[in-house]
Amino acid sequence: MEAVFSGIALILEPFNLALIFVGVLIGVLVGVLPGLSSAMAVALLLPFTIGLEPVPAIAMMAALYCAGTFGGSITAILINTPGAPPAIATALDGYPLAQRGEAGRALGIAAVASVMGGLFSLVVFILAAPALAAIALQFRPQEYFALTLFGLSMLATISGKSSLRNLIAGALGVLVSTIGVHMSTGVERFTFGLSGLYEGISFVPVLIGLFAIGELLNQSQTLDKTVERIKSVAVRLPSREDFRRVRGTILRSSGIGTFIGILPAEGSTVAAIIGYNEAKRWSRNKEEFGKGSIEGIAGPEAANNAATGGAMVPTLALGIPGSGTTAIILAALIMHGFRPGPYLVRETPEFIYAIFTAMLVANFLFLGIGLAGAKIFSRITLIPRTFLWPSVFVFSMVGAYAYAQTPFDVWVMLISGIVGFVMLRHGFGPAPFVMGLILGRLVEETWSQSMVIMDGNWWGFLESPIVLLFLGLTVISLFWPLITEHVPKLFRSRRGAEAGSP
Amino acid sequence: METARSGHGRLIHKTDLGLALIVLALCGALWYATAKFDEVPAVLQQGVLPTDFPRLVIAVIALLALLLPFEHLAHARRGSNIDEERSVKVKPISMVTALVLIGLVAIMIPFGMYPTMVLAAAVMPLLWGERRFGRLALYVLLFPLVVLLLFEQGLKVNLPPGVFGDLLG
Repeated sequence: MEAVFSGIALILEPFNLALIFVGVLIGVLVGVLPGLSSAMAVALLLPFTIGLEPVPAIAMMAALYCAGTFGGSITAILINTPGAPPAIATALDGYPLAQRGEAGRALGIAAVASVMGGLFSLVVFILAAPALAAIALQFRPQEYFALTLFGLSMLATISGKSSLRNLIAGALGVLVSTIGVHMSTGVERFTFGLSGLYEGISFVPVLIGLFAIGELLNQSQTLDKTVERIKSVAVRLPSREDFRRVRGTILRSSGIGTFIGILPAEGSTVAAIIGYNEAKRWSRNKEEFGKGSIEGIAGPEAANNAATGGAMVPTLALGIPGSGTTAIILAALIMHGFRPGPYLVRETPEFIYAIFTAMLVANFLFLGIGLAGAKIFSRITLIPRTFLWPSVFVFSMVGAYAYAQTPFDVWVMLISGIVGFVMLRHGFGPAPFVMGLILGRLVEETWSQSMVIMDGNWWGFLESPIVLLFLGLTVISLFWPLITEHVPKLFRSRRGAEAGSP
Repeated sequence: METARSGHGRLIHKTDLGLALIVLALCGALWYATAKFDEVPAVLQQGVLPTDFPRLVIAVIALLALLLPFEHLAHARRGSNIDEERSVKVKPISMVTALVLIGLVAIMIPFGMYPTMVLAAAVMPLLWGERRFGRLALYVLLFPLVVLLLFEQGLKVNLPPGVFGDLLG
């Protein structure tokens, strides 16, 4: 109980509250602006947090993560352009409702559903993280190795066009994590004589490059397209009747979003899409979907925000990122000298409670900011791209340099950005690469330790039921795209055959 | 024309075959690089060697890359277009932007961070078609200064002074 109070007390310090407010403000801003993502904003924020204590630094990022997910819905509803990928499903019904002159009602539903989804997932987070960490404390390197393999295999199921390309990008990230001096033998690997690579590739410049510079180059492809300007709009809270209609959807989507967030590597986008589909499946007014259904707004919004709290569970309790943005938060934790995982929860429980409180505060803040400041935020899209993206480049350059104060990192940032842009064109997303980069060291370390413990005997992995469970789950998630494609067909053809037989 | 290019109806997707060959060549080069790693002293040769893990990952990447040229068949079955993003050619402005970014980073150390920021704030908007010179002048004057103050005074980061900083002492 003492840890709970000290965690809450840490966050309630005025300076930390101010930082959370700033995080929420930046989060809503980047959410509103199409092209800017919360992952990019968290990556750009990393260098700013160098001088901060770990708690306010991570709290600020977590607040930004929550608010950024909500912010994306504003542009999705008003101009049919999701400010962030998790808001894609929100646009399906939010924009038609806005076109009917009910933009304020749509934004109000989105804000309330987001907050309720966020709060639901935080309750699960605070209950599940310590429980999961307590279980993980029993894990030996063999179990941890199998768990990280499972985390990487989940890349096959995350959003994106191609499971195969996600896996290749993840494996490339793992390979990049091996650059530098091998810890136990001192052998240089892939350094090619460059002293800047001896300690390996820093996360910070790579993250900034992939998310900021990659997107900047992507935006340069669309300069000839005109961006629709948002008209000012007054947001209003849902009426009692509206709330009665969406409360079941919100609860269901909150559960779905939290569960999907907890799964390693899955994120808000998948949660939102499933939240939307389930809202439609359970709705009594299916015919309204796509034409401005309020359930079609509440479903994805509750789910995508619930996924943020859910994603923090494996990130903090296991050290396995729950999404692309939490992968960056994980990198920030490492940068601040923490080793995320069960020991973090056991040794510094007040830290977990502080992050919980920060996200709780963030949820209420973005409700207030979203409702009261929608008129102001609706004018944010007036910032011309010709000034916005050069500013992103300047921040990227200075941010990449500021981390270790070496020009080498600025080059790493730029090369990562250009390579990321080319990779993205061919369907290799930055999020799987980042997951691989961050989990790579853990995979190698636990594999190496396991082999020493098992005296080089590979079969030793199969002696643990937990390892077998995770390996089984790994195989399922690797073949999940094939399973989802072929199993329903198999059932349909069997049913057809049965129906046809006398 | 696009259909032919995307390999629809064919067993092998041409662009992805090229992509797979690039990945395989990279894997080959990296595997060769692992062979050049320093020898591990006999006392340290227990458990996993420094070459083992990278080679395992390289092998996985190579195996996955072999599937790339055939992936379009699965996409075609689902009715999705694997070439959607890359069907639009890289525009000259993107290439010029990339070159400008490289140039800006290259001059950062000799010229210093502040002049580079000023140059970036002036050149990039112009390159992207900004012609409201009053706004641009204000942006060039104020934005780099704010960033400089934020990092140097606020975060106590020593940004590279460059030749101009050195001259000013």
